[in-house]
Amino acid sequence: MKRTTKWLVLLVVLSVLAAACGGDSSTTTVAAVDTPDTTAAAPTTTTGSTDTTVPAEPAGPKTIIIGTTDSIAGLDSADAYAIHDWELLRNIGEALLSFAPGTTDIVPGLASDYSVSDDGLVYTFNLRDDIFFGDGTELDANMYVDHLTRMLTLDGSGGVGGALGTPFIESYRAVDDRTVEITLKDAFGYFPQVVTGAPYMPMHPDFPLDALVEFPDAPVYGVGVWMITEYVPGEQTVLEPNPYYAGSAPAPKVDRIIIRYFNDAPTMAKAIETVKDGRGEIDIAWRTIGQPDLLAELEGVDGLTVGTVPGGGVRFMVINHQLAPTDNADVRKALAALVDRDEISDRVYAGTAEPLYSMIPVGFLGANEAFDDVFGAPDIPAAQAFLTAAGYSETNKLQLQVAYPPEHYGGTAADLIQLLSEQYEASGMIDVEIISQEWSTYIGAVIGGQDYAVSLLGWFFDYPDPDNYLAPFMNNGGLGTMITDPDTNEPIDADAQALMDLLVQAGTETDVDARAALYADLQEKFAENVTTLPLFFLPEHVVYWDYISADDAAATIESLNIGPTFDLHYELLDTSK
Amino acid sequence: MIFILATVIFVVLRLLPGDPVTSALGPRGSPELKARMIDDLGLNDPLIVQYGRFLGDVARFDLGTALTEGRRPIADEMGERFPATLELVVPATVLALLIGLIPGTIAAHRRRQAPDYAIRLFSVIIYSIPVFWLGLMFQLIFSVKLGWLPVSGRIDAITGIGLERTTNILVIDSVLSGNWVAFRSVLIHLVLPVTTLGLVLSGVFVRLTRINVIETLQQDYITAARARGIKELVVVYGHALKNAMIPVVTLIGLQVAILLAGAVLTESVFSWPGMGRYLIDRILARDFTAVQSVVTMFAIFVAMISLAVDILYSLLDPRVRY
Repeated sequence: MKRTTKWLVLLVVLSVLAAACGGDSSTTTVAAVDTPDTTAAAPTTTTGSTDTTVPAEPAGPKTIIIGTTDSIAGLDSADAYAIHDWELLRNIGEALLSFAPGTTDIVPGLASDYSVSDDGLVYTFNLRDDIFFGDGTELDANMYVDHLTRMLTLDGSGGVGGALGTPFIESYRAVDDRTVEITLKDAFGYFPQVVTGAPYMPMHPDFPLDALVEFPDAPVYGVGVWMITEYVPGEQTVLEPNPYYAGSAPAPKVDRIIIRYFNDAPTMAKAIETVKDGRGEIDIAWRTIGQPDLLAELEGVDGLTVGTVPGGGVRFMVINHQLAPTDNADVRKALAALVDRDEISDRVYAGTAEPLYSMIPVGFLGANEAFDDVFGAPDIPAAQAFLTAAGYSETNKLQLQVAYPPEHYGGTAADLIQLLSEQYEASGMIDVEIISQEWSTYIGAVIGGQDYAVSLLGWFFDYPDPDNYLAPFMNNGGLGTMITDPDTNEPIDADAQALMDLLVQAGTETDVDARAALYADLQEKFAENVTTLPLFFLPEHVVYWDYISADDAAATIESLNIGPTFDLHYELLDTSK
Repeated sequence: MIFILATVIFVVLRLLPGDPVTSALGPRGSPELKARMIDDLGLNDPLIVQYGRFLGDVARFDLGTALTEGRRPIADEMGERFPATLELVVPATVLALLIGLIPGTIAAHRRRQAPDYAIRLFSVIIYSIPVFWLGLMFQLIFSVKLGWLPVSGRIDAITGIGLERTTNILVIDSVLSGNWVAFRSVLIHLVLPVTTLGLVLSGVFVRLTRINVIETLQQDYITAARARGIKELVVVYGHALKNAMIPVVTLIGLQVAILLAGAVLTESVFSWPGMGRYLIDRILARDFTAVQSVVTMFAIFVAMISLAVDILYSLLDPRVRY
């Protein structure tokens, strides 16, 4: 290389380095979205006798950065079925009805009101007059009907239409520009809860009727408070206010929300702990930071609040009623009597897991503690009596296989199963063999009902109603409980028939108190039959800095108004920075 | 080689238990839906048909679409992920080389003296430290405690908004767009992951360089060079180091090939959205198409790197001819 060329290369390298180390001489371009100007006016200062106007740095858009370990699986409401996708859709969209922040109370959404026919089959929703997408396109009843057609016919990879549409809807039509009428296949008392879900949030009319668009080009417009102006899968999603939104939700208090994606909870925890210029690398960490050691660490950081969000994901053991040895009711009862949920919570989850004595968690209609009432677990003598009745003894021990997926429920799953096995073996009449199987094989085997007598499973609701915490474990094979035939849905015995009758009765009951009573009765029978074996639910946690605040729209300020429905309403958040 | 690897990966994926539809749907989804999805994805076709389709796609450089997570074109997903890995691996390798070559040569030159012992100790320690532990320590010290450097990501969340991603290598994109704030942010975000990976990689380069330079310094032509009065620095760095480079270049080729497949742990610790994490997620999801396409692309990269290494041999040693 010639000497002059070397100097030239050196000069270029030095220039680049100098530029890199230089100050903020340039500004970053922001997404070109036509939003109202929210830039604060430049302040002035007066010094001594001479008035000197000091040009201040223009205040940038007020921004909140939320960290999560979730990722985007798809942004088409006709297909989206993941929790984070629903969170984004709930913020950029609006369903026919909504939940009041922090509660499971139904409030108006796109529909200002609705009526139900006397037989409970026909729901008539009256749409608001002022429903606009982020680009100004107005939504009418015909467009909403087109959306229902997409959702019910495309039934994409997540099967969301097949789960939350077609089982309920017989027919639908636009009565006029502002009225949508939906006729149900049966009188489902919880249909208002169902229509709060993401599948009932219309996508922009540009979305084709005959194809899903999982990753549409930004900006992504819904009819909700926000719109997605930019997203990079695996890195971040940027939301800005929908300038045309005129619904009942309050106006956003910040100009921009950024969702930042993390590979794991420990890195996210360090990001919120890392402070520069008085601000965390992220302002809020929301889902899923539930590792007990991380929570303890974050609780010890000055200025950070760790809020607990009740309800949500439950963990339970699937008990197969048609496979030996759990086809014997006494064996099932013995297993139920031996579980010490408090010990599981303390030893495996450092007290962060809430013992669950019925499938319906706290905060939902009809939640009770049926398994505690029936078994008062742990009760080793009672369990030994059940096992003796089933023909087992200390010399003729029950040989029990317990299956779990080692990678699917985090590192604590192995500890959980190990402890559960110890609790079973404490009876002196059970020998446990632990089977670990990777998820994709495991879940097929559990649901198929051919392989495992006892297996671990988790569940998160599709719609926040008690029905969704019970029906999936009873209908069509019951996800491996096999109390019904997977093809015909016929109950296997009189106990199962009684459960199914109660389930239908509770599902079609429209009176809230009567429903609650029916679910209480159903849960008692569910426990007596040990249909499944609920263990605990894992509350989610939201961690945030003290400069973040939430609108006092609900009584759950400490959890930033995130309630049992797990909705984080971005428009309720504010920052003093 | 590429054909063999593509065939092996195709067969192995089919032998593994599980399928992408069951994995994706989990406890949800009716049997009818599962059957329809399996049919839609062509997983019901005879294996020979699937294999023929796969080879045809590879020949056309059509990577297909993923079977899970939104079914995006794999080329798009690689287009987002691979540049991120490249942006991490290339500077880390350069750093490892800098740390490896210079101290390695000094250790060889000062054999059995204090610098040699110190450098050898450093190389053993740094080689035996797990990369995730080193990354965590750096994060705790330089991010959490001192607040100097960011914990994660490729660019500051706010600065990254609106950055035109032409190549998705953000160092280049920020320069192309003349966005020096973004450029600075990208460099700052590179410091910890690159240092972590570079340091851990450097241990083996130090040892390899040292041993080869020692061997070269014992050659007759080195003695002759010294006898002719050539300066010691020129003898060591101009002659001995250059001639000791062939095994080092081989190792660079191997390391880069491995790292391009994903510096998995480093990417995990720093939430770096690269290929390592992507590949693990897709393997767990039994996404046959994504895994076999990505692995085949890696095979092509490895072949290209091997070719580059062979060319470098001939440049380093004129006796090597092909």
